[in-house]
Amino acid sequence: MAEANNTTVTLQVHRFTPRAERAERARGGSPFARKSSPFGGGSDSAARRPRGKQWVQEYTIPARPEDTVLDCLMTIKRTVDPTLAFRYSCGHGMCGSDAVSINGTPTLLCTAAIRDWAKQPGALPQVDDEGFRHIGDETADDNTNAEAEASADSTDDAAAHGGSLGVIELAPLPGFPPQRDLIADIDPMLNQIRKLTPYLEADGVLATTSEGKVDVFEYLQHPDQLAKYEMLSNCIACGVCEGSCPVFAGGDAFIGPAALIWSSRFINDSRDAKAMDRMDAIDTADGVAACQSVRACSRHCPRGIDVGEEMWQIVAKVRER
Amino acid sequence: MSPKRLEDMYDAVIVGAGAAGLSAALGLLRSPEIEDLRAQGVDPKILVVSKLQPLRSHTGSAEGGIAASLGNVESDDWHWHYYDTIKGGDWLVDQDAARLLAEYAPETVINLERQGVAFSRTEDGHIAQRRFGGHTRDFGGEPVKRAAYAADRIGHQILHTLWQQCVAQGVEFAEEWYVTDLVLADDGSQAAGIVALDTHAGKVQAVHARNVLIATGGAGRLFHTTSNSWDLTGDGMALALAAGLQLEDIEFVQFHPTGLAHTGILLSEAARAEGGVLRNADGEAFMERYAPEHRDLAARDVVSRSIMAEIDAGRGVADPKDPDGPKDCVWLDMTGIAPERMAEALPQVVETIEQYANLDPAKDWVPIKPTAHYTMGGIPITTDGEVYRWNESDDSDLANAHPEWLIDGVLPPSRTLGDRVVVDGLFAAGECSCVSVHGANRLGGNSLLDACLFGTRAGRTMAARIAENPVDSPMADDSTDDALIEAADQAKFRRATELADLLAGNTDISGDSDGDSDAEAASANGNPYELMARLGSLMDRALAVRCNAESIVAASDQLDSTFRPAAEALRAHSDTAAFNQEITAIWEVRHLVELAGAVLAASGARKESRGAMYRTDHPERDDERFLAHSMIRLLSPEERDRLHDEIAKAGQDEPAPVFAAHPISWQPVHITDYPPKKREY
Repeated sequence: MAEANNTTVTLQVHRFTPRAERAERARGGSPFARKSSPFGGGSDSAARRPRGKQWVQEYTIPARPEDTVLDCLMTIKRTVDPTLAFRYSCGHGMCGSDAVSINGTPTLLCTAAIRDWAKQPGALPQVDDEGFRHIGDETADDNTNAEAEASADSTDDAAAHGGSLGVIELAPLPGFPPQRDLIADIDPMLNQIRKLTPYLEADGVLATTSEGKVDVFEYLQHPDQLAKYEMLSNCIACGVCEGSCPVFAGGDAFIGPAALIWSSRFINDSRDAKAMDRMDAIDTADGVAACQSVRACSRHCPRGIDVGEEMWQIVAKVRER
Repeated sequence: MSPKRLEDMYDAVIVGAGAAGLSAALGLLRSPEIEDLRAQGVDPKILVVSKLQPLRSHTGSAEGGIAASLGNVESDDWHWHYYDTIKGGDWLVDQDAARLLAEYAPETVINLERQGVAFSRTEDGHIAQRRFGGHTRDFGGEPVKRAAYAADRIGHQILHTLWQQCVAQGVEFAEEWYVTDLVLADDGSQAAGIVALDTHAGKVQAVHARNVLIATGGAGRLFHTTSNSWDLTGDGMALALAAGLQLEDIEFVQFHPTGLAHTGILLSEAARAEGGVLRNADGEAFMERYAPEHRDLAARDVVSRSIMAEIDAGRGVADPKDPDGPKDCVWLDMTGIAPERMAEALPQVVETIEQYANLDPAKDWVPIKPTAHYTMGGIPITTDGEVYRWNESDDSDLANAHPEWLIDGVLPPSRTLGDRVVVDGLFAAGECSCVSVHGANRLGGNSLLDACLFGTRAGRTMAARIAENPVDSPMADDSTDDALIEAADQAKFRRATELADLLAGNTDISGDSDGDSDAEAASANGNPYELMARLGSLMDRALAVRCNAESIVAASDQLDSTFRPAAEALRAHSDTAAFNQEITAIWEVRHLVELAGAVLAASGARKESRGAMYRTDHPERDDERFLAHSMIRLLSPEERDRLHDEIAKAGQDEPAPVFAAHPISWQPVHITDYPPKKREY
């Protein structure tokens, strides 16, 4: 993909290598290790907070504006550094494996084009002397920022930007414990989804045949009934909305937008017989009441679900029942 | 999610969590046998192992539909579906299996609907159906609307629904565990479990099980241009080869005609079903010349070959993203589809084109190129999902009894006989398996159907076996378990030693050194990702859409001389075992290399053109000699040593026999209702 061109991109990757397991176990034995938190402390995410080596690594590789960030990371694996860890599978936005933070914004690696995300270093928001950064989405610390500028500057002179398309910063999905490099532990999200009985509960028994003849039929559902939940059923559980949500942080305070989208998917399905039970289950302090309508969850949903609006709809529905 | 603690023995372990694996788990748990057991208080011990997180399996990328003669939109008959499947497969289809597929397709689709799949609907609320290539009425007549669909996201809907139902059933998963060994006991006659790398902990685990089901999907990553996800590295097939089992018809790989130019990303057949037309560089709708009746909706292999013929005749176009590159694409013209219809029926296709080609299909023609899509062959199974070995009868006896069968003095593959010997407790389902409903070429809409239907059947067969002697039963007979446990633990020990070796062989480059020395260090131990890319190019050149003896032998030589040693030399570049993706990639590329060898050897042995396989040196179908399933295996290490000795003894004058490391035998095709005819569209 990137052979026949001479533009480059620089990826600043927040890396992390977990410490070997033996050390972890030793810490687990410490009498001071697991003090309960005043804020509930039911989650095991704190206990699993990983320890290890953290650093920011820069890779400058050939790339074209239309390449995706995933294309670039694959090039890095193939040609520079096979140790760089990140999840990926289908490569075209359907499997939901590759949610990360790009320039501070949760989104999928495989749908993010270089032309949309690379920034010339001058355009990066600067961190001021006290370590605060101005409006924007940049999280690099002083050192790496300086390095980024230096390395980009050195190539700048050849042409307008010396063929450099700019810099992209990559970090694991926020809100979840990092496991290695760009891999985060999204099990908390999946567990919350599981908690809300995420399966159709209709009233019928499954179809059977006698002598090859179909003797029962599908549940009828009209296109307008389908339209009530079809968009919700497209959720791929990537975690982008959760990583964007300022209330969600591993799940103690808020069951999270993804689990509520899944619940709403069944509440709005005309075939489901448990809508009332489902609404009871999310009418809790950490359920719909925790949503503060920030609507950051809508911004980068790869399936185009207006998560914030859907949350608003389900909150209203729960209240009205 | 990983199990908190592994059981000492499982009733069944299922490898793979796509449509086939999950259907098997559900078929098993919902069977009357297991319901009985549960009523007695005996819970079956089941574990589903997947190398991916939940909901990431490639089933989720299937776009177009699942075929069933529901007759919701126009009248249909399962016999027509049955016939179309056989004809689509160029008569290399076991008709008993295809009959089950067509007959139980409506039940399968309706069961999916009742479990929650959000199918698109007709105005009266029934499951909507659309046309799909090769599906006809009246045994090869007019096209019929047979593919049930959910916009263009049927795979996503099915995958999610099956997973949701598994949550309801409380199925236990081991996620992001990569299976490295399929373990057999008792001289290979019985399944004993698996060995897997828990990628989170970076630890090798033995999972002991009385029943094992392999449902790992296809092997599209054998090729560079593929619609398959990065994870479809033929693991299950390679595991079977390594365990001394055979693969059936593995030479048949379907190339989907409409991959989005050089990305390989699939544009669903639905794009043509809804009115998209293929055009060459002159703007001509060329499919009219190749398939006058069905044109752009002819079977996939016909369309792929027609595209390649246009490209070979100089009427191809370059990918607009690479205007100076090779003219190896043609156009897909969707401008005739009404924009509202496009948005309603093809949202995913439109999104993919906008996202990855930067084009507007309502206005622009879209560059497309055939892309490796589906492996028709795989681990041989019975219609109940049991893996078997094919024991070919002695040729010379048959030759003596039937001298009239000989062609040029030898018994042709089509005349061989033998019997199937089932491996106790070993099952397979889905794309990695071959029950032989797809024959030489799969029809669109039949893959999800195969995975769900035969996955469910395999699950039910396992349930019956489990009920005979459940692990958890107080009266359980565990007298044979020791042999299984020992076999699995030995395999685990070998694999753990290898893992330590792979990790230790590193030069750590993950530090802060500059790029140049990183690259050098990377090349010192080899790079599995780079090797995988080169292997894909090799296989593209040798086999994509067409091949011949020359291309096959050349690739095979290179595989042996370059790729196999390179794969063996690979070592990891980081010694941290947890989440070490490179370790998985090393094992994946070794799997691919072994599988590539088998695919090339089987391709070399089939000296005819049939379905998806087109040999330029044998351009005609040859029923007289090759109406038979190829059954290929690897030589065992002992056999290989013996072979090398023989080659050494034969000396320099004798050229080494080609493909000698892959003994091949042939199995007759089950033909019960429809005798072979010429396949025309």
